[in-house]
Amino acid sequence: MKQTEGKIGIREYVAIILLAVGTKLSDDTPTLFFSSAKNAAWISMLLTGILTLIPLFFLIKVFSVHRDKNLHDLNLHLFGKVMGNILSFGMLIFGFAALVLDSATYVNIISTIYFTKTPSIAIYVILMIVCGYGAKRGIEHIGSAAWITLFYLKTTLAFALIIAFTKGNAKFLFPIWGPGTSEIVKTAASKISIFADFYFIGIIAPFVSTFKEFKKGTFIAFVIVLIEITLALIIYVMLFDFTSIEVISYPFHELILYISIGFLNNVESMFLPFWLISAFIRFAFYLYMVLILFGGIFRIKEYEFLVPVMVILVIFLGITPKNATFTVPFLREQLLMILSPIFFILPSLMWLIAKVRGDFKNEVKKDM
Amino acid sequence: MKLKKICNICLVLLLLVNLAGCWDQKGLDRQVFVIGIGLDKAEEKGKVNVTYLIANPEVGSSQTASATDEPSFMTITMRASDFVSMRNNANVAIAREISYDLLSVILVSEEFAREKEFVRFLYTAEKDREIKRDIHLVVTKEKVKEFFGRNNPKFLKRPHKFYEFMIERGVEIGIIPDSELHHFFRVTEEDSNLFLSAFATTKIPSNKDNYRINESDAVAGDLKVKGDANNAQFLGSAVFLEGEMIGTMTGVETRIVMLLHDAIPVRDVLTTFQDPFSEDYQLAVRINQQKKSVVKMDLKAKPPRINVKLPLTIDVLTDPGMENPVENKKKVERLRSEFEKEMESKIMEVVRISQEEFKAEPFGWSLHARKEFKTLKEYMNFDWMKTYPDMKVKVDVDLRFGKFGRQPKTPSYKGIRD
Repeated sequence: MKQTEGKIGIREYVAIILLAVGTKLSDDTPTLFFSSAKNAAWISMLLTGILTLIPLFFLIKVFSVHRDKNLHDLNLHLFGKVMGNILSFGMLIFGFAALVLDSATYVNIISTIYFTKTPSIAIYVILMIVCGYGAKRGIEHIGSAAWITLFYLKTTLAFALIIAFTKGNAKFLFPIWGPGTSEIVKTAASKISIFADFYFIGIIAPFVSTFKEFKKGTFIAFVIVLIEITLALIIYVMLFDFTSIEVISYPFHELILYISIGFLNNVESMFLPFWLISAFIRFAFYLYMVLILFGGIFRIKEYEFLVPVMVILVIFLGITPKNATFTVPFLREQLLMILSPIFFILPSLMWLIAKVRGDFKNEVKKDM
Repeated sequence: MKLKKICNICLVLLLLVNLAGCWDQKGLDRQVFVIGIGLDKAEEKGKVNVTYLIANPEVGSSQTASATDEPSFMTITMRASDFVSMRNNANVAIAREISYDLLSVILVSEEFAREKEFVRFLYTAEKDREIKRDIHLVVTKEKVKEFFGRNNPKFLKRPHKFYEFMIERGVEIGIIPDSELHHFFRVTEEDSNLFLSAFATTKIPSNKDNYRINESDAVAGDLKVKGDANNAQFLGSAVFLEGEMIGTMTGVETRIVMLLHDAIPVRDVLTTFQDPFSEDYQLAVRINQQKKSVVKMDLKAKPPRINVKLPLTIDVLTDPGMENPVENKKKVERLRSEFEKEMESKIMEVVRISQEEFKAEPFGWSLHARKEFKTLKEYMNFDWMKTYPDMKVKVDVDLRFGKFGRQPKTPSYKGIRD
């Protein structure tokens, strides 16, 4: 892995997470929440965030004693060679499925809202070529690209949300408990996997310069992302109300189509490029994680030669679903459903095994 | 090394080609821009008569000031299944690609708006990407086709400016409601309120010249306007219930609704009140709404009760009776109580109409009611629309006087005539 000899600092690390996870508020993730938690989706989101703290805590704990290992190495170490490989392979499948489905969603957004006449495959090819190039350059480059663009991306996002906020009506948030507390909790529990990225992030754990920065960065990024997505959910409801929000597939894009800044009516073309850049960085990062994991399992050192194969695979799998507007969100929801319990339980299991094996004893000594 | 460099350059150049976005490339001169879409009833079920109002970009722009004799707009009417497929149909007579990018208004004839089918056609707007949710909906008394033909403003020849300014100003002074499609969809889907849409017409009967206390207490077409400014009037609102037009409201009623509805700010309301000191005259006042209305509800009571407190600041701008109410505390007090009474009775009249005639409310009180419920289910079970007609509504106007014109005092009438 010659491209990744260097490491990334906390800045780049946080920037990557903010873009990879934070961008979820602009695809159809909010719709998944709205469909069952309605106008109380933001409470669900907060609850999901609190729930996520548990696996996150265990994961960090486990990494604290295995600072030089990535997630795959850790699996091998904790579960043995056979089980570890099987587990990592399972993760690879899920990660790859997420990459395919999420990118398919993005292509769908671009082709239905912005470039209506362009064939989907052309958009897909361009998106994946750019992301493949990014992934090939390695984590350092993804990190610095994320850090450079972070400020502009988040500023434009904040700008759009603030304008929408002024147009919205806070009364739409009531009745405060929406469809009822049980529904809120159910949604929160079943959608916890939207933060599964934080589990996969273990793949790049050893690339962060120090463990302390990894730990700090993860929590900082997590809190910011949680606040960001929660605010977005609130603003969407304030603008569209609980009845309309259910039928809108991509609230963020509907929002930037609706708002106008002073005399400027068609402002969506102002926001589109920024959103695209965050999409590029997000998928470059996903692709990179999949490649590292793949390389780890099959012991391929020169993983960058896998980029073209992977890119082509993603494109072909991504455009296969017929009737993509409905199939892709459906599959994505299924994936999140399966991933949720896994994401919740696996880190604690890892911690338990590490505890039983006595890995933490060394740690205590080391610290002292 | 060299080979790699060449490869890289080739790749970059290849990517450059994509920047143009070939498939969605559109030349400005290869498009015509539709400013308004008119929807009229067609004889055949499932069809609609679509009228395009197409602006001529060469007319009226400052550079080419009246260099051409071309008209500033043209219209084309065709029968179509919807206004998306109409884009191609219209190319039979129009040479260039039809673009909705600058679409700013959808006009519907009253006849069509009263159809149950109407909402099916309007929802097309949610599907097409170029039709944005901030487009305004206007109902016209006559067929839209005729409206476009007769609407001929002397200034503002360019149609997009005309509609933009006409609607913006009308909303600002409150004589027409803010009828964005966004609100239409929201209200229709929430299914507990009335939606008000702007009302306009060019069909003005010639014999309408009745004396009115307040001139804007009418719907478009009922007001006599002389001169040659324009044939069209934008005044009052069309009332929609569940996506179907069920009646109209006058300009004053629309203003009252907008004052009570706290989501829509009305900034500049000039109106007249009866002068309590001399019967023949009216006082011109400016109504300012600085604070939002306070809505209190008791939904457990039977019938449920709504108490609304509407704080308003009033500037009295004229004094044709020359009574100088400012100087006298008693007179000011009387002015206040008379105004409050008059406003309250007008407001209650609108509330009565909404309860008895329309059987639903346009004031957005259901939003306040939501706070009284814990879950959506409880709220749905309460069935706001069904319970509203029986509710006991009380509106308190809380007036406060602001300015009394530039110069508060006038010489007394008697003194002058003496």
